Amino acid sequence: MTPHTESSRDHHRGERLVAESTGAPTPVVQTSRGRLSARALGGGTEPDPRFTLANERTFLAWIRTALALLAGGIAVEAFTADVFGPELRKTVAILLLVLSLAIAGGACFRWLNVERAMRRKEPLPLPLLVPVLALGGALISAVFVVFVLIRGS
Amino acid sequence: MPVVHGYLPADPGLQPERTNLAWGRTTLAIGVVSLLFLRWIPDYGGFPLVLIGFSLLTAGGMNLHQRRRYRHSDLGIRQEQIQADVVVVMIIGGAVGLLAILGLYAILFLPVQ
Repeated sequence: MTPHTESSRDHHRGERLVAESTGAPTPVVQTSRGRLSARALGGGTEPDPRFTLANERTFLAWIRTALALLAGGIAVEAFTADVFGPELRKTVAILLLVLSLAIAGGACFRWLNVERAMRRKEPLPLPLLVPVLALGGALISAVFVVFVLIRGS
Repeated sequence: MPVVHGYLPADPGLQPERTNLAWGRTTLAIGVVSLLFLRWIPDYGGFPLVLIGFSLLTAGGMNLHQRRRYRHSDLGIRQEQIQADVVVVMIIGGAVGLLAILGLYAILFLPVQ
């Protein structure tokens, strides 16, 4: 069995090649971080690497959604002083930041649950983040609508 | 025989490249958030500088990680095995969550100047 050619830079970072003499087809790079990951992911077998990468991209898409909400909260607080009163501005900014926090946290758990399900060849869990985002967005919109109606009357 | 320039990717679906671009977009999004925090400086004084520093640190770390990850992803596709990196996912999610918490702290507890 021939170990794959990994650059010497990785060895300097403390990584080492683990080649099982009993017959794994290809050796894998095992790191201390890798061992931590393996413990968090639990048992099962490694899924198709394309699925792992797809799960990673989905996680990143949720993180960008959280960042967009965070940017929205910052922008409402920073740019709307002339348009909205301090109470509404603060309320909407807080709602956006809380929603951003929920989405960022939920994205991590979603990624972990999907990865675990794929390793155990189980059906993927339903995304709880979707209704959270929809309800949060609807709530923030409702706050704006109520404000405009009250202000208009 | 004609000479063909280019490279032969491990995956014809270009999964490592798409994932690398997703990391790049996320890094850019954090950069935009850090720039938006600049507008808080007139209201909240020096505290937004902490948020900007933390955002840029996160973006820099992600940029370094994505370069290394791309190399590993390409190799992983060739070997049909990629190790899911729990720690990095938790760090990125935690960093964005912490930015939201620090933003909430500023809005709720810091006096507007």
